[in-house]
Amino acid sequence: MEPSMLGSSSTSQKRFPKLRGVRWRIDLGVLPSSLSASIDDLRCATADARRRYASLRRRMLMDFHLPRAVDRSPDLTMDNPLSQNPDSTWSRFFKNVELEKLIDQDLSQLHRAHDTYMPNYVEENVIIVVSPAPRVWISTRQKSFTNADTNTVTEMHELLTPLVYVLLVDLDHLSQVQKAYESHFSEFDEMSFSELNQVSDNRFRRSISGGMVIEKEGNQNGIAKVHSIDELDPDTKEILLLSDSYGAEGELGVLLSERFLEHDAYSMFDSLMNGARGVVAMADLFSSSPVVFEVSSSFYYLLSMVDSTLYSHLVELGVEPQYFALRWLRVLFGREFDFDDLLMIWDELFSSPNSICIDKDAKYRFKILCAPRGAFIASMAVAMLLHLRSSLLATENATFCLQRILSFPKNPDMKILLEKAKSLEILAIGSNKLLSSSQETSNKNKLAITRGYNLSSGSSSARTPPNQVPDSYWEEKWNLLHKTEETMMRSDGFLDSSGMKFLGERSILSRTASHPSPADGGGRKNKHFSVRHKLLDDFSQDINSVVEHMNSKQSNFLVSNNIESSPLEVNAGNHFMEELNDDNNFRRVTSDRTAEETCLSGECSSIFFIATHHSLSKNKDNDSDKSSITSNSCICDNDQEASIMEELCCRSYNNQLVRDDEVVSAANDEPKSGQEFVSDDGKPLTSKFQWFWKFSRSSAEGNLEKGGNQESERSSAAENTKNSCSTTTFVQTSNSQDVSKRGDVGDNKVLGTLRILGQSMLENIQVIETVFQQDRVQSLSLESFSNNILGGKGQATAVSALKELRKISSLLCEM
Amino acid sequence: MVLVLAIGDLHIPHRAPDLPAKFKSMLVPGKIQHILCTGNLCIKEVHDYLKSLSPDLHITRGEYDEDVRYPENKTLMIGQFKLGLCHGHQIVPWGDLDSLAMLQRQLDVDILVTGHTHQFKAYKHEGGVVINPGSATGAYSSITYDVNPSFVLMDIDGLRVVVYVYELIDGEVKVDKIDFKKTATTQSAH
Repeated sequence: MEPSMLGSSSTSQKRFPKLRGVRWRIDLGVLPSSLSASIDDLRCATADARRRYASLRRRMLMDFHLPRAVDRSPDLTMDNPLSQNPDSTWSRFFKNVELEKLIDQDLSQLHRAHDTYMPNYVEENVIIVVSPAPRVWISTRQKSFTNADTNTVTEMHELLTPLVYVLLVDLDHLSQVQKAYESHFSEFDEMSFSELNQVSDNRFRRSISGGMVIEKEGNQNGIAKVHSIDELDPDTKEILLLSDSYGAEGELGVLLSERFLEHDAYSMFDSLMNGARGVVAMADLFSSSPVVFEVSSSFYYLLSMVDSTLYSHLVELGVEPQYFALRWLRVLFGREFDFDDLLMIWDELFSSPNSICIDKDAKYRFKILCAPRGAFIASMAVAMLLHLRSSLLATENATFCLQRILSFPKNPDMKILLEKAKSLEILAIGSNKLLSSSQETSNKNKLAITRGYNLSSGSSSARTPPNQVPDSYWEEKWNLLHKTEETMMRSDGFLDSSGMKFLGERSILSRTASHPSPADGGGRKNKHFSVRHKLLDDFSQDINSVVEHMNSKQSNFLVSNNIESSPLEVNAGNHFMEELNDDNNFRRVTSDRTAEETCLSGECSSIFFIATHHSLSKNKDNDSDKSSITSNSCICDNDQEASIMEELCCRSYNNQLVRDDEVVSAANDEPKSGQEFVSDDGKPLTSKFQWFWKFSRSSAEGNLEKGGNQESERSSAAENTKNSCSTTTFVQTSNSQDVSKRGDVGDNKVLGTLRILGQSMLENIQVIETVFQQDRVQSLSLESFSNNILGGKGQATAVSALKELRKISSLLCEM
Repeated sequence: MVLVLAIGDLHIPHRAPDLPAKFKSMLVPGKIQHILCTGNLCIKEVHDYLKSLSPDLHITRGEYDEDVRYPENKTLMIGQFKLGLCHGHQIVPWGDLDSLAMLQRQLDVDILVTGHTHQFKAYKHEGGVVINPGSATGAYSSITYDVNPSFVLMDIDGLRVVVYVYELIDGEVKVDKIDFKKTATTQSAH
């Protein structure tokens, strides 16, 4: 497996890039980490560590039959096997036996349960060989681990496994190198006597020049005859020196050694648990100390700084960080990711130093954030939470929320996740310091800007000048918006649940915001402000109900300077960052990130897509780029369905808009952006479009009229149906649009995406139908609510929409 | 680290009501892998109790045992050792080492466990070990005056056996330890 070059620290190049095991040992503090440490130093350190372990093991795992050096007559009343005394050696023995049994059980279960977790490379017996290490460790900590139960030991094993794996990989690498340069590794003993005599002089000379053993006569064919160690490339040379049995400390110093696998694993494990005089010591997490709470609250603190929506949502639901933090922390995210991903994370983790990096006397909030490693852990956790943002925001129940968190998707995009974590790490360290209040506020502002940049750029070098539109402008707009909305607010509690659901729906919708596939992107040039404005108005009303959840802390996002502000005054309150520079990738990443943050908080739903559309319209030349940006930007979850839905809805949205523009632009002078819309298609679509308007308006009204009745669920369900209906209308429009446009675009990709469209439409249909059934049931029982009327309307129209959907989907499937 | 309990001559209920409390508290299930019982339990309840201590229970018939189905002798292999079990009332003179050695050679065992004398004895004899765990309840014996409750726990580990003797003397449990090592090759006695 290839070494991870991802996230190589900004400091100097790491030594031993190919030997993960050695690198980790250096990072963990087992081996000297100074760059000037010679091979001999490394070997000596290894040997010392191994010696320590050997003596420890001898002491801890009792072997009753070794003659004791100290000839004390044992107090047999205490020391006999049946002794009831808990301190006696025999009681310890029995305890160990029990623990052993449990461990073996766990290991076998571990191997059976997680085949994706651990590659087959790590064979059971190897792990079992190394399994004494945790027990030895536990024995050294007997006081704090008197009740080391199965879970603790399992977790320790899970921590141990990657360490062992990494060591094994190194050994594998070594054996490969050995095969390649077999001559250099040959031992004295294998030489025949005659050869010895002949080459004895050579031998001495060679051994002086670096500890290399003689080259055999009649070397194996095909292997390059390298005559001296210096001819080898530096990496191989290092490996050679590291594993030379005759170097410093002899066999004990051979860095990559199978015999001492257990010792090495133990030393790594030990330093991981102890923290090697650093800040992050895993041991604290296992004992029931307040460290756990502190660490979990540091997560939330960081989250609150980065994304207060999610934070407040989680806090409202009552999701305490410890619930998931403990599991994440105790095995250092071992259970959330696949093995290879985990190794990448641990690479990153270990390369962050563990030493305290703030001034000695400075006050800090969280001890864990004092060291880069701790900060990385916290930021990794926050990055994971942000990754799940959309679905978390959509849940209403603490249980579901936790479920979602605890079932982290198996294949996230590691690169992005790690980059985010790295950027947050810096933020975490910076924010950890407790400052005077004035400083804090100014810092906060600065942090807001820098944070926005950090989030967008994904690198710490975010010193590009801020957008032309200053922060304050958007804040004003936002406040304006707030005021108007507050007057229309309903009771909190009611809106909560419905709002959240609505939010969830909206977020799905919002995700739809402009996700044209790159192929389609070419045609989506829109610059029809007035239409958009109308749309915006409607949506803003909808959003009003949702806005309650958005507090003014949403100063996280800065708006792109590409957005024309005037028609968007209503929506301008939301802040975006779109650095539409020339760098495509950068843009992609940016919008990725910003979209993640912004798009999926309910407030951004329409605004974002409007904004992006604006930006789309603004820069014709950059169209394809932008559309691809926006296409990328909306994928925040790796949820397949969601993305399909996104695609679907986004495209539909776009098409819808385009259609709208088309329709309305009769009166508009703005030139069409090169699309040829067949006017016939326009009419039926117009009607649909109008129907859609009605829909959204009614839904908005419905939202506002709810006021305190107990049918929040129902209304939200109705809401959902409406929303899904609106999406279906979008779909319809989009599909017809697509059909018409097929001549224009004529791309294979379109076909593929259309097929996906069809499938997702079918899914939608199913969803709608089920919801409708529920609706029908409910509507029968409830009479006197305005919602009922709406529901009825909704039903009728939705039914018709469904029918059309079916037609279209069948069309699509035929294609 | 195989723990083998050697116990016998309880004579419950005829001569003793039960094991001494201190012994009972020591004998907890889970620690002991095998039990060799020399005999004279005498009733089924004692058998069941011993069975609860360890699933692997071997009993030979004593003259007062109510269950007639126990065998007279038994041999088994634990680790590297061959163990032999017999009550001992069949071997006359009772408790005579040479006669016991004869039985040992007959059974061809390394460790012979017998009882009946109600006295703890452990001999090293001709490359083998003869162990008498005594009476666990301290039951009356017609051939001994002073009977202390006692039993034996053997710790068999490879070629080495450590014999722990637990005796209840004056109400206190006294423990003693004897080491035996088996020579690598033992010839059969023929």
